[in-house]
Amino acid sequence: MGYRKVAVVGAGMTKFVRRSLETGKELSFEASHMALESCQLTLDQIQSVVFGSAPDAFDGVHMKGEYISDGAGAFRKPYMRSYVGGGTGVFTPIQGWWHVASGMFDTCLVVCEEKMSPCQPHPQGAFLTIFDHTTERPLGPNLLWIFALEMNRYMHRHGITEQDIAQVAVKNKKNALDHPCAQIGREVSIDDVMNSEVLAWPVKRLDISPVSDGACAIVLASEEVAKRITDKPVWFEGVGWNLETAYWTNRDLYYPKQVEYAARMAYEMAGIREPRKEINIVEPYDPFDYKELHHLEGLLLCDKGKAPELTRSGVTARNGDMPVCPSGGLLGVGNPIAAAGLMKICELFWQLRGEAGKRQVPGSPRRGLAQAWGDLMQVGTVVVLGR
Amino acid sequence: MGILEKVADNRETKAWYGDIPVQHLYTAGVAGERFLSEIRDNGKILGTLCEKCNFVYVPPMIYCERCFARLTEWVPVSHKGVVESFTVGYIDMDGKPLPEPRVMAVINLDGATSSLVHFLEEIEPDDITFGMEVEAVFRPKGERKGSILDISHFRPVG
Repeated sequence: MGYRKVAVVGAGMTKFVRRSLETGKELSFEASHMALESCQLTLDQIQSVVFGSAPDAFDGVHMKGEYISDGAGAFRKPYMRSYVGGGTGVFTPIQGWWHVASGMFDTCLVVCEEKMSPCQPHPQGAFLTIFDHTTERPLGPNLLWIFALEMNRYMHRHGITEQDIAQVAVKNKKNALDHPCAQIGREVSIDDVMNSEVLAWPVKRLDISPVSDGACAIVLASEEVAKRITDKPVWFEGVGWNLETAYWTNRDLYYPKQVEYAARMAYEMAGIREPRKEINIVEPYDPFDYKELHHLEGLLLCDKGKAPELTRSGVTARNGDMPVCPSGGLLGVGNPIAAAGLMKICELFWQLRGEAGKRQVPGSPRRGLAQAWGDLMQVGTVVVLGR
Repeated sequence: MGILEKVADNRETKAWYGDIPVQHLYTAGVAGERFLSEIRDNGKILGTLCEKCNFVYVPPMIYCERCFARLTEWVPVSHKGVVESFTVGYIDMDGKPLPEPRVMAVINLDGATSSLVHFLEEIEPDDITFGMEVEAVFRPKGERKGSILDISHFRPVG
């Protein structure tokens, strides 16, 4: 296909916190400013800006993409906001990619922000109206219930236990101890997870990521420009996205088909035939611990139902054969929805350049994959980066 | 009854009320916190200066939207400014008549590059002119809450 090579040349992020004094604009500025400084570019060298953020009801500002635009460096520039729910943080860089790949722009600043703390009494409330107002809303569902139904179906189908799943929370929260921006890095045991408050069985308090405020940003450049900016460009090798039925009851919840289709699209573009051998680091979407396992299977990085074994045998540990969420993931670093997805891209950027500090995975990884998931539990978004 | 059948009376289409039940707890932000604290505690209106762009932001920002510099120079601006535009509102947000018409104006404070929107009172709408000088009226110190409404309104100078 006739698109140009695109590189990530800079990255920045704020701390993820439960409630920031900074407004959404200010959070976006801090991440964007850091990303630009990291590659020594100034705003006048940025030709286009794309912005990702989840529901306006979180920040409590309708049209928050437009409201925050100046904080994302979009003053008098071509600017677009995208929103595919939880999948936004990995979709927005894809949107940035096609801005540059298409030949329209040589540079693009990609910014993702979420300020969830304003939403009261809990950001959960913003989700009530995503359900069908005739058949589902009268039941008063919340997202935890839906996740619990999916987790239970996944456990049942493969004979997976709650303890199997809790390993992921233990691993990711521990990994996050090494992330300077992390909200809830800590040492917990499988027993701690098992004994934490049951929210909607089998989902317990420590199975899930927190409510967070934060922002991330990356700078994209075309091949020619990227090579002038840095001697360590990190290339987009593949992108993919796919949407399942909006009726989450119309599919078998044990397996995320949409993630598989998105992954296949990205693998084909990247020329990857054996993902298990060719992907060195994975940052799958982990708002809940079982989702990391679910998504590793959807990404074809292990057989269906076998992801818990990979975790148990240490394959997915930071020093394992296929490190998964070396950042600490959403479970440890935090989950400001759109920013959390882009955090995964930032992590790959730092890991592939050997700049991840205490989080650096051994063996000079060559290629990494980030994935997010969302919309009405139906979208899969995948980016493969390589050096 | 579907869209292709002519509905003469909209009450024939059954419907029910629902809402999106969320409220919000906002932070003023790094710039907003200082801006509002100064108004509340000292009755001062502060802006931030971008020297490169020669631009004073009121309300202040911690960055310049034009050049993306981090702004650290805080400058007091005048309580007085000029009317750049105004409107006389007769209805509220729900479209109901206001008990009294209310004037809202865009005001450029002396020393600021950007402008502030606020109420304009103590003048008949017919007497308002473009470029007329107005000044901020602060609430009494004990009544200020760290809100933009600690400036109760603007009024003509003199």
